[in-house]
Amino acid sequence: MASFNSADGFFRSVVQHADRAFYCDAAREVSYGEMGAVVQRLAGYLSQNGRPRRIGILATRSFEAYAGILAAGFAGAAYVPINLKWPEERIVTLLGLMELDALVADVQGAALLTPAVLAAAPDLVVIADTAVEVAPRSGQTIVRLGAIDTVPLAEPVPVGPDELAYIIFTSGTTGLPKGVMISAGSLANYLAESRSWTNLTPEDRLAETCDVTFDLTVHNLFLCVEAGASLHILSALEMMAPGRFVRARAITVWMSVPTLIAMMRRNGSLKPGIFPSLRLSIFCGEPLPVAAAEAWAAATPNGVVENIYGPTEGTVICMRQRLTNPPVATESRGILAIGKPYDSMEIAIFDSAQNPVADGMPGEIALSGPQLAIGYLGQPDQTADRFRMIRGKRWYLTGDLGMRDEKGTFHHLGRTDNQVKVKGNRIELEEVEAHLRRAAETDVVAVVAWPVIDGSAQGLVGFCVSAFSGEAIGKRLLSSLPRYMVPEPIEVLEDLPVNINGKVDRRALFQRLEDRMKAAAEARSAVAIKAGAAE
Amino acid sequence: MSEQASATIREMILSLLRARGVESVGETEPLFSSGLLDSIAATDVLMALESEHGVDLADEDFDILQIDTLQGLETFLSARKAA
Repeated sequence: MASFNSADGFFRSVVQHADRAFYCDAAREVSYGEMGAVVQRLAGYLSQNGRPRRIGILATRSFEAYAGILAAGFAGAAYVPINLKWPEERIVTLLGLMELDALVADVQGAALLTPAVLAAAPDLVVIADTAVEVAPRSGQTIVRLGAIDTVPLAEPVPVGPDELAYIIFTSGTTGLPKGVMISAGSLANYLAESRSWTNLTPEDRLAETCDVTFDLTVHNLFLCVEAGASLHILSALEMMAPGRFVRARAITVWMSVPTLIAMMRRNGSLKPGIFPSLRLSIFCGEPLPVAAAEAWAAATPNGVVENIYGPTEGTVICMRQRLTNPPVATESRGILAIGKPYDSMEIAIFDSAQNPVADGMPGEIALSGPQLAIGYLGQPDQTADRFRMIRGKRWYLTGDLGMRDEKGTFHHLGRTDNQVKVKGNRIELEEVEAHLRRAAETDVVAVVAWPVIDGSAQGLVGFCVSAFSGEAIGKRLLSSLPRYMVPEPIEVLEDLPVNINGKVDRRALFQRLEDRMKAAAEARSAVAIKAGAAE
Repeated sequence: MSEQASATIREMILSLLRARGVESVGETEPLFSSGLLDSIAATDVLMALESEHGVDLADEDFDILQIDTLQGLETFLSARKAA
């Protein structure tokens, strides 16, 4: 029987390309052979009490993160990334749900291993060689990665298609993130579909721009290792000015959220021809404005630009659209279309009763096929709500508003609910509001994604009626939410506008912010004109 | 000399750290790659470098890793001054 072990491709490259570089960051370069030795030893260690089922990865953009993910796969376990930006309270709660056999932490992850986190963590914890000293709780073993001398696991253990490959958490409406469970079979299908258009070779040099909590890293890592290519990790800081990184490392394949293009265009660094080494650039996670795609294409004269679409629940992505001349655009939004589905996936546009609508009509984007997630970890109700049997077939209802045109090309038109993307981070406004209610000790709250530049939200603004100051509420929120989910500012008002149903009117609040910004800009230009006249 | 220039950036970084509950930091201790400061703070520092110190972020070869430590920032700003 064929095995679906996610580390099979990696293991082949360890054998065939032992001397080639695999993992590269600012500090080190690790070959396939070297990484193979570490992964096989770690996999052996993780298997000492039998085949492990789930390994937590409290690490990102680091050698330990990738060693942990590959070793988990090698040993036949699912990997579960834990966001280093989560506050202690959230890490503790989610560790309680994950049922991990072991945890792998890098330097930054080990710094988060407080007594409360260790109490909720599994009995086996592996930390980076250079991490701080961490004292285990009773019954717990903490070992450094480099100190492991267990007999290496000889080869990846056989894995069935229905077994779990990874769990990736996304924002949930209830106040806690949802763990999306992806099977080994879904991952294998994804890789088969994706290798046919990415065509990676051992010569390719991929840039990794994301944290491992974001499933774009699934695409990069598993396609990279099966091809024997090298993976070049940008630090969060390098993401702020990536030009030098791409040029100095002669990166050939780039994948990131479009926000990054907007940032480079704003500071003027995205100039024509600056990235001659790039042959393939992939954008995902939020709408890709046509102007941004074209500016990136001009900067990469030897490459193509692909816009890809897919929720985590459909295994990374399931649709793509190449930038062509003229572009296939969604005219009403000035963005690139999301294109055509993967061959093995069926995409439909449903009305509110889940009946297909005619081409050209808007509706909810729904997915069906082998890439659909198993469901949400420990959330049968939420799973049943979004994953439904409809006319004998299992569908995932994305909550994305879309339309199929007469040529069969799909277009993204927005959301049917209150999920937003802030600089590529998927956030349910209700989740933030649930925490804001608690922190402000009030029922009257609203959170708005604002400002929106090039169709991409740049931040969150909170509103509430509260006895506390906005600043104090913000401080409280930091104990339960990661910083990127904490609204800034939080405005404390006498009351909030409500719509005809008596619900807080987010749209009116959004408009208020827009009007205020416009008034401020007008005031500034009036001052500038005056100053100019006085000269 | 860039003493004054680096003093304002230094004060800014210390206040960003304080806002995140960090009271002091070593001269060669990584600020961003260590996770002490996040990308939101990095944006603030970059904007200050651009608007107050004339750093050209449009330079596609700008090496942002130079701002990862207080010492690196100091060297970077004084080299700019000398140039």
